[in-house]
Amino acid sequence: MSTWIVIVAAGLGSYLFRLSMIILTSRITMPSYLERASGLVAPAAFAALAAAGVAAACNGLGITGAAAPLAAVAAAVIAVLRTGSPQAAILVGMPALWVATALLPS
Amino acid sequence: MTSLRADHSDIAAGARAMVPWLAGIVPFGLVIGVSAAQADVPRLAGWLTGPLIYAGSAQLATIGMLGAGAAPVVVVASALIINIRLIFYSTTMARYWRGTPWWWRLAAAYLIVDPSVAVGLDGYQRLGRGRGHAHYLGGAVVLWVSWLAAIGAGAIVGAGWPAWLHLEFVIPLYLVGQAISKLAHPAQRRAILAAATVALLALSAPLQLGVALAIAAGVAAGLAAEVRR
Repeated sequence: MSTWIVIVAAGLGSYLFRLSMIILTSRITMPSYLERASGLVAPAAFAALAAAGVAAACNGLGITGAAAPLAAVAAAVIAVLRTGSPQAAILVGMPALWVATALLPS
Repeated sequence: MTSLRADHSDIAAGARAMVPWLAGIVPFGLVIGVSAAQADVPRLAGWLTGPLIYAGSAQLATIGMLGAGAAPVVVVASALIINIRLIFYSTTMARYWRGTPWWWRLAAAYLIVDPSVAVGLDGYQRLGRGRGHAHYLGGAVVLWVSWLAAIGAGAIVGAGWPAWLHLEFVIPLYLVGQAISKLAHPAQRRAILAAATVALLALSAPLQLGVALAIAAGVAAGLAAEVRR
């Protein structure tokens, strides 16, 4: 039940954000530091969720079991750094995960 | 007041202007659909993040944190922190929508998200307010339909594929790609490194608070880097 409430609450809050300044703009001026901060939220969120997601994927696998997902992440990082394309992370990382899972002991 | 014919052509122009954006957005929607299928949440609930939250990063965070068993208030707070940029988009669009009927503002505001604002602003600047509304609507509706279709397709595909494909790892890899591709900008680099570090240090934090703490730490580190420059 709480799953549905969470999604509705997050959706309602997001809609109020969208509507907020359309209703209030003549009365409120946003401080500039908040505008700068908003540009940093997405990169910080991506990094936090990525780190937590990789850690969750490796959780309980032990050192040898975690080798395959960590090898996939390493391959993804190298691919993105070399190509500059964020999509390269999936295009290179997933095949790397399949190969590493097949070759490395679990 | 523009003619109906002009409105139709401006709606079509807005829809066409959105097409290049779909190349990047449709794969993101597929990834979110896969994550909804793989996470420990009802598939319909995962898909509903599309029409209700309608912002990819916040949807990913919501699905991921719900699947990890985070406390409801932490999930909502994290989604809203990620979506705080919508307030700035709201400010940007407000100047063009002043004096329009309330039903237009309610509906058009619902469609505000990064690509619809970009395409909409281009239309308002080139065509003016009257025709710009039609241009915004054309682009925003194409985006909305494509986004929900992509999430639905991802949810169907993600649930039916064999376990050895490890599709649950698509999301972390997608996020790694997004984070690594933003390292060139100094303030964003600080934000990314700080957020990743705090997320790892706070893995055992109660209620899955670690992600919210990490986002806050990342933003603070990025702002501090901007001040020092």
